[in-house]
Amino acid sequence: MPGYLADLRAPGALELAFVRSPFAHALIGKISGPAVTATELGVGDLRLGGHGVAPWPWPALARGEARFVGEAVAVVWAETRAEAEDLAESVEVEFEPLEPEAPRRLFERTIDAGAVDVCFQRAEHVLERTFSCARQTPLPLETRGVLAHFEAGRLTLWSSTQIPHILRRGVAQALELEETAIRVLVPEVGGGFGLKAHVFPEELVAAQLARRLGRPVRWIEDRRENLLASVHAHDNEVLMRAAFGADGRVLAVEADLRCDVGAYSVYPFSASLEPATAASAIFAAYDLQGLRVSARAVTSHRCPVGAYRGVGTNTAVYATERMLDLIAGHLGLDPLEVRRRNALRHLPCTTLGGRELDSGDYLELLRRVESVSGYEALRREQAEARRQGKLFGIGLALFNEHSGTGQSEYRSRGIEEVSGLDACRVRVTAEGRIVIHTSSVEIGQNHAPAYRRLTERMLGLEPGRVDIHEGDTDVCPPGTGAFVSRGAVGVLDAIAGALRLAGKQDLAPGTDVTCSIDPKQVFPSGAHLAVVEVDAVTFVPRLKRYLAVEDCGNVIDQRTVSEQIRGGVAMGAGKVLLEESAYGEDGQPLAATLLDYLVPVAADIPRIEIEHLVSPSPISAQGSKGVGEAGTIGAFGAVANAVADAVAPLGAELLELPYGPQRIFAAIQLATTSKQKKGRRLGG
Amino acid sequence: MNVEISLAVNGREWAGEVEPRLTLADLLRDHLALTGTHLGCEHGVCGACTVLLDGQAARSCLTLAVQADGRQVTTVEGLSEDLLPRELFQCGFCRSGFVCSAEALLRREPLPRAVELPELLAGNICRCTGYEPILDALSARLPG
Repeated sequence: MPGYLADLRAPGALELAFVRSPFAHALIGKISGPAVTATELGVGDLRLGGHGVAPWPWPALARGEARFVGEAVAVVWAETRAEAEDLAESVEVEFEPLEPEAPRRLFERTIDAGAVDVCFQRAEHVLERTFSCARQTPLPLETRGVLAHFEAGRLTLWSSTQIPHILRRGVAQALELEETAIRVLVPEVGGGFGLKAHVFPEELVAAQLARRLGRPVRWIEDRRENLLASVHAHDNEVLMRAAFGADGRVLAVEADLRCDVGAYSVYPFSASLEPATAASAIFAAYDLQGLRVSARAVTSHRCPVGAYRGVGTNTAVYATERMLDLIAGHLGLDPLEVRRRNALRHLPCTTLGGRELDSGDYLELLRRVESVSGYEALRREQAEARRQGKLFGIGLALFNEHSGTGQSEYRSRGIEEVSGLDACRVRVTAEGRIVIHTSSVEIGQNHAPAYRRLTERMLGLEPGRVDIHEGDTDVCPPGTGAFVSRGAVGVLDAIAGALRLAGKQDLAPGTDVTCSIDPKQVFPSGAHLAVVEVDAVTFVPRLKRYLAVEDCGNVIDQRTVSEQIRGGVAMGAGKVLLEESAYGEDGQPLAATLLDYLVPVAADIPRIEIEHLVSPSPISAQGSKGVGEAGTIGAFGAVANAVADAVAPLGAELLELPYGPQRIFAAIQLATTSKQKKGRRLGG
Repeated sequence: MNVEISLAVNGREWAGEVEPRLTLADLLRDHLALTGTHLGCEHGVCGACTVLLDGQAARSCLTLAVQADGRQVTTVEGLSEDLLPRELFQCGFCRSGFVCSAEALLRREPLPRAVELPELLAGNICRCTGYEPILDALSARLPG
């Protein structure tokens, strides 16, 4: 569909503006002015919570008390957005600030597998560190937006969303409408990265007001709202202990994860998203004899936490890869060698964390990284740079990640609202054109050419007869949407299935078949290498070189794979070096503009070298695996280790993301003062 | 208290009354239906709303419509599709800003060198591509 949400022509549409809480926790008293509040709006809560997830829904408008700065408290509307914002400013709310509430535990996942205690008793070395992953936000360049129109008993909802069918379900539930009475349409989407895979309070408000007012209603988020009140991610702290031998072999790992999920549980993923994915991703590419993990989601007076490219795997890979480098440093071993000694060697296998790894060759990934990067020469270059007083670091990461999550996995995480299914409907028009409708949606991944080529190849068609049409719940089959890198897994399988059904009908005009798939997770993997130089005066880290050796199984479309890896790496580098949705002690957000929330610009990202290794998946029909998140996840390990390696000669140890100049400076200061103290003790 | 202004947008004259607080971006998008110019932050950082004002790159979200009175405005709609084609991008939301920034660079005398591009384009944010395809396409038009 041409144009992004804010570009849609909407004659007669009313523009919404929200009155938001300036307090992290406050009682809401009298509201004066032309505003609609929670009581008057009459929208129900989105029901959340399955196995083990405590229900703690995010209300459409705050009821009684506000729980984070930016929470929507009331809504106004006017003919133009400027007038609506004037109105919102004129609304007076009597807030009574409250003390912060004690954190509530909404979810916990534990893993206790293998001989953890025995390993720790026998190990020659034990290392313990606390790693923390900054609170961040996906920051798609296009903010959120929704346009709602209620006419003749039917609600039409245009939304910049990754999940049209889940949105339809959520709105139906909250507004007590039949799902069939709602049509969700998705225009061009200006990036999602997980942020647009939620049903948001503002969407419910816009839908309800369109029904009440009998006029189209539109809301376009501004960047401040986006930074304060959409979703954040990764506010995790990991206390990790590793037991290992003098040869660098890690025997067992214990990890305790505390995930700050903010003020409410998000729909549809719930508060289980970060802890559940992080728990099973800890040391998931390595051969352990014991693994014990406790991961829990706890509330705070901050923006709710949702999905951001890589989700909990980022935290797990960050902590795992940092720990391996610390082990290497502790033993005086090369980090690449430590990874080689610990990498899983025999796939397929099931990890202690429960990942059923379908295929991969992790030693070959490491071999490729070594040869393509010219690893030995690079270490010599580093030694020379260090002699010249440069802070020059090399970082590695070896990892796998889940893609194409299906129904059973969601149920096991307590997520009932995600069907986990992917579907495709194939129609043959009277003119003989083949129309492909999927349950996915285009958010910039540009999957249509791959779908088209698969169709032409399977049906033996000449080019030019295939149309792809997504993002319309009236014609597309129900399914999960576009996230967790499912395009090259379940969606592709569903397309192939539907094409086979259509083929059986000889593509006769009028053919109309649908295939729905419950995909099983498949695990792409990768080994990445980053080179970073930290300025010796300003401590600003600069990414100088990046190599990604990726294995996403059979490659359906080379260009898309490279684009996803490259863009993912750039995003991951930003998450390690720059991005932080910081809060002050009083719960006030410190990153409310793009001058405070920093993301990489062209000058920050070097050319990304990409190498492909192919271990076809025996599970997905095309042998392919998802690739949307691997770049980001790898960068969490590789870039972080490179920065840490750069400043290691100064005795500094980096544990807390992002690794910007302030944190680097603080770590160097700490190292210097503790050395001085030690010196004094020895001297005294 | 509206103000009368007239300006040329993509070579066509436009005259009318506007609120003094109206931004150039909102004038282009809401009054002239030129929605190719996108708003990414509305505080002058992301570069998505970049247009040419008398041939120079300007943030249309920080420029008031009244400041454009009597001047020449060029938007993505007035520039060639070939400069940075759509397929270089993923979500495409940042494209119009990059096109205008790139056009402003290419109009400079003397032309910047390709190695300077990453710094010169550091005023435009792209969240999808990692910048490489955009830089490569422009490098080809610049002296080493």
